[in-house]
Parts: sequence; structure tokens; C-alpha cells
Amino acid sequence: MSLQRIAVRTRAVVGLALAQLRRAPGRTALTVVAVMLAVLSVTLLASLGVGVVQTGEDGLENANRDIWISSDPIDPAASGTANPIVGSHGVSADITERDDISSASPIAMHEVYIGTESGDLERTSAVGVHETHDGFDFEAGGGFETVLNVSAGEHLEHQRTGEPTNEEIVLDPNTAETLDVSVGDTVFLGTSRETAQDHEFTVVGIAAYYSQYLGSDAEAVPLTDLQAVAGTAGTDRATFITASVEDGADRDAVSDDLAAEYPAYDVRTSDEQVGAMFEERSLVLASGATLVGLALVGGIVLTINLFALVAYQQRDELAALRAIGLSRWVLAGTIGVQGLVIGLFGGLAGLAATPVLTMALNHLASSVVGFDSLLQTPLEVYVAGLALAIVVGTVVAVVTGWRAGRYARLEHLEG
Amino acid sequence: MSNHALEQATASSGQRSTDAESTAAVRLERVTHEYGSSGDRAVTALRNVSVTVQTGEIVGLEGPSGSGKSTILHAVTGLLVPIDGTVELLGTDLTGLSDRKRTRLRRQHIGIVFQRFHLLPSLSARANVALPLVQAGVPTATRRERAETLLERVGLADRTGHLPGELSGGERQRVAIARALVTDPDVIVADEPTGELDTATGADVLDLLTDIGRNRAVLVASHDDATLSVADRVVGLRDGRVVTDGR
Repeated sequence: MSLQRIAVRTRAVVGLALAQLRRAPGRTALTVVAVMLAVLSVTLLASLGVGVVQTGEDGLENANRDIWISSDPIDPAASGTANPIVGSHGVSADITERDDISSASPIAMHEVYIGTESGDLERTSAVGVHETHDGFDFEAGGGFETVLNVSAGEHLEHQRTGEPTNEEIVLDPNTAETLDVSVGDTVFLGTSRETAQDHEFTVVGIAAYYSQYLGSDAEAVPLTDLQAVAGTAGTDRATFITASVEDGADRDAVSDDLAAEYPAYDVRTSDEQVGAMFEERSLVLASGATLVGLALVGGIVLTINLFALVAYQQRDELAALRAIGLSRWVLAGTIGVQGLVIGLFGGLAGLAATPVLTMALNHLASSVVGFDSLLQTPLEVYVAGLALAIVVGTVVAVVTGWRAGRYARLEHLEG
Repeated sequence: MSNHALEQATASSGQRSTDAESTAAVRLERVTHEYGSSGDRAVTALRNVSVTVQTGEIVGLEGPSGSGKSTILHAVTGLLVPIDGTVELLGTDLTGLSDRKRTRLRRQHIGIVFQRFHLLPSLSARANVALPLVQAGVPTATRRERAETLLERVGLADRTGHLPGELSGGERQRVAIARALVTDPDVIVADEPTGELDTATGADVLDLLTDIGRNRAVLVASHDDATLSVADRVVGLRDGRVVTDGR
């Protein structure tokens, strides 16, 4: 077959396909919209999957800590007894003395009750830290800083009192709204309804920093104050000890050294910590993966159905073309080119709508559950969406066109 | 391009008959065909049917619905392969050929006129007529020129750019006849060509069909006596059998 013949046929096939699309503009537009929806279902769910992973990683990177020391369980929703590291300030001080560690500090987590004089008590999570930092992205007010330098070995047991000393708190925006308080107001805090009235804290800032990692509202409180409220000041309990290595030190090697030195604890680098946290959330991750899988399968099935219908609607025309002697390849090409054009437009429309819907869903997620940038759209997400539309669309259209050619009989031309 | 030089065109496509009747344009020999799966549910459409159509002859197929007229047309065009018997087109037995080769023979040697025209509504009359030439890779300018010549011949020189939806029933059937002629076929197959037309328009279309069929073999299936009256010979069918063959 000469190249000229192929070129003539190709041009004719493209012209035929475009003529068919132009004949029913309403149907063509609906088909483009259907492909757009298939693309969106893939891009948005893939964005969610990417966002879940990215949020976890960002959380640890923003904390700017290289090494995480914990001891099972590390469930942040657990009560004080689940702050398994005892004498945490002492351990932190010991670790800081190493030449390859620049700083180390403990973090505690407790379920607490919080409220105002006039309102009911709300159950929420409190994260006890030495100080807040720039990454908090305060909506209002600012942070706090405890006076003593933990890393320098201060704040050891004999230096601490059993009562809160700073009495400052950074509230999650949702909590602040529920309690109807703002910066400068006073709230009560305690680990039980009965003891909540005993301790007053001043709201110094509003930020959702810890909420986005925990997936629920979380308030930031000076560590020693939280320990005092929880009654763990004596045993100096913490959930994590985080450490930063000196510049130039090998993070993995330091982690291994610490693991050998503290065999009772789990010592992980920040990357490993992400993995460990995800292991604990395997059900959530499995659900996410299932959703992404279903989105892909659903998108493909929708696309297959769509182009099978496109071919089915043209069965009379295809049967006539077959009867007058056009080959199955020409028929398949005619439907295939329609698939390519519809896939291209539907795909581009889907990609154009993705960032808009992502922004809207992120806004919704941020206001409802406190996660910022939950849906993230790296280039790969767009590539996957466009590939679904164009590649799957075209291949499916060619196959259905080929099959339609096979079944195109004169029976379709009668009756 | 003339297809009347049939030997050249078909020599490589399959077996050729060597008996005295090999000059027949169409020859069905003891053809039997069933639709559906074998067993009780199978419907026998043709039983031991033999029909011959010579070049220059117009043969009518007459009979009620379900008598086997359309099945004969399907077999002649190679759109179906009967379960038994032979179907020769210009001396080539279609039953032994692949689907691809039958499609090529159909494209090169047969023009089909349908009862319901089956023009592509998205294409102009000219583009519809030119469609069969696409497969042969005929360049656009040549396709257009040949289509316009044929539309002029069927009296539609001023309708070449119209879409089928903008044409009357008679005009559409004329376009369909022009399309059937565009490859200069040896055999014209027409299935109820006046079935959708009023009497006067139908008569015009039949005049055209007989005019263009003079140097070809024409096979016309119809219920209509007026349509069958243009045939040189009428084959009567009942329940898949030939019951009469002649005038």
C-alpha cells in the first residue's frame, strides 16, 4: 500500500470523524463532559492520595527534626498513660550532650477538656511542646516560649513545680470558634471534667498547626504546663523526643547509635517515622488506595461504556459504510478519531477544572477538618488524567469501532 | 477504472469456474442458509437455491417477507457466507474467501442501493457519493470530480453540496444510486429501491436504474409489481425456495 493511499485514507477518516461529531453537537458536548468527569474522578482522588502522603511528610519536615524517639503506643488520641517516655527532659538532655546532636526536646500529647466560664467543656487534644515556631502560621496572636532551655539540660525534675507556670495556650481556630474566645481571653483546661476548672490559661494565639497532622482539633500548650495539668510532671512523661543532628552528621548513623543506646525506645529518622505513622493508619491508607483504584477502574469503565455507546449510536452508518466496501480499519479509525478528539477536549476540560475544584475542596477540608492543602496536584496527577482521557479514550474507541465493524450487517440497514 | 475486465481483477482472488456458465456475473448454485444456532431454533432462510444473472440482465426477486430475497442479496454481496452451496461473482467463489477479500470484491465489483438510502447525514451529497473511493485511496480532487459527474448524470448537478436532510426522498435515492455507481461496478444490487418513494418518484428512479443497468448485471428485490416490471426475468421465492424463474 502506497504512502499516498494511506495519507488519502487518513485524511478521509479524520474528515469523516469530524463530520460525525459536528452532526450532533449536543451529543458531542455531553460526551466531552462525561470524559471530563471521568478525568476529574481520577485527578481529584489521586490528588487526595498524594495529599495524604505529602501532609504527613511535610508535618515532620516542618518540625525540622531529624530523629524521632518514641515507644509504642504513639496513639495521639490516647490518655496520659500512653505517654510512655519517662523522664523525658532528662533523656533529652542526655541526647543533647552528644556531639552529633544539636538539640533534642520532648513532646507530650493528652486528651483534655477545655472550656470557658459560661460555656460547656469541650473534649480536645493538647500537644505539649517547649515552644512554638514560625511554621505555626498564626491566624491571630502569636506563640509561647518556656523560659528554660530544655536542650541545655535545664528543666530537670527538681527544677519543676507541680503547677503550670506559663499558663498560655495556642488554640485551634475551630476550638476558638466553638468556645467563642479570641486572643487575650481565658480558658479552663484539665484532663477531666472535674479538674478542668482548676487551671486557667490565656489564649495567646490561634493556629491549626498540630490539627492538620492529627486530623482533629489540637491545642498547643507549654510542655511543663501540660504535664502539670495531666499530673505527669513527676514522672516527666512524653510521647516523643525529637532531635536534630549537627550539620554534616549522618542522620541514619546517629539514629542507629541512639537505637543501640536506648533499646527500650523506637528510634526512627523522620522518613522512617512517616512510614511508622502510616503503618498505624494502614486501614485509612488501604481505603485511600482502594478509592484511587476504584477511581481509575471507574474512569476506565465509564470511558469504555461511553465509546461503546458512541459506536452503537452510529451502527447504521457503520453498517452502510461496511456494505459499500469500507474496511474495518477505516471504520475503527473513524470511531477512534472521534475518541481522540473527545478525549482531548474532555481531558483538557478535566485538567482545567482540576485546580479549581481542588482549591474548593481544600477550602472545604480546611474549614471542616483543619487540613490545609489536603488535595495536592503534582504534574503526575495531570499526566494520569490526560492519559486516561486520550490514550484510554482512543484505544477504547478504536476497539469498539473495530467490533462495531465486525457486527455491522445489512440487518442494521433493514426494518 | 473499469471493472468489466473482470478476469484481471479476480484472477488472484480465488478459484475461477471453468464451465460454460462462468461468464455469468452472478451465479448461486444450490445455496442453503440458516440463521441462528443449529438445532430447533435455527431458521432456514434459503433451501437449495440456484439463480444466475448475466451481464446486461435485470433480474427481479419476488416474494413475501421472509421468503429469502434479502438473504440472496446478502450472499451475492458477500456480507454473509451460506452454510452450503457456492456463490460466484464474476467467476470467483465468494464462499471460499476471507472477510477481507470479500469486502474488496464487493467494493470493486458491486454497487448497493438500499431501500432507506443509508446516506451519511453529516456528509454532503457529493461526499456521500465519493465515499466508496476512500478505501481505494483515490485523491480528494479525483473523488470530487467523479462524484460531481455522477450526480450530474442522475440529475442532481445543482444539489452536490446539499446534506441528505435537505433533499427529497427521490433525490436521496438518486444520490444513493450515484454512490452505487461511483466504482463503476459490474453488478448492481437493489433492495426495495422504491419502497420509500411515491409512485411517480419511484418510476423515475426505476428509469434511472434500468438506464444505468444496461451494461451491468442488476439484481432487484421487491414486493412491488411496478418495480419488478422493469426486470428482464423475475425469480419467485417462497419459504426460501425458488418457485418460479422467468417471466
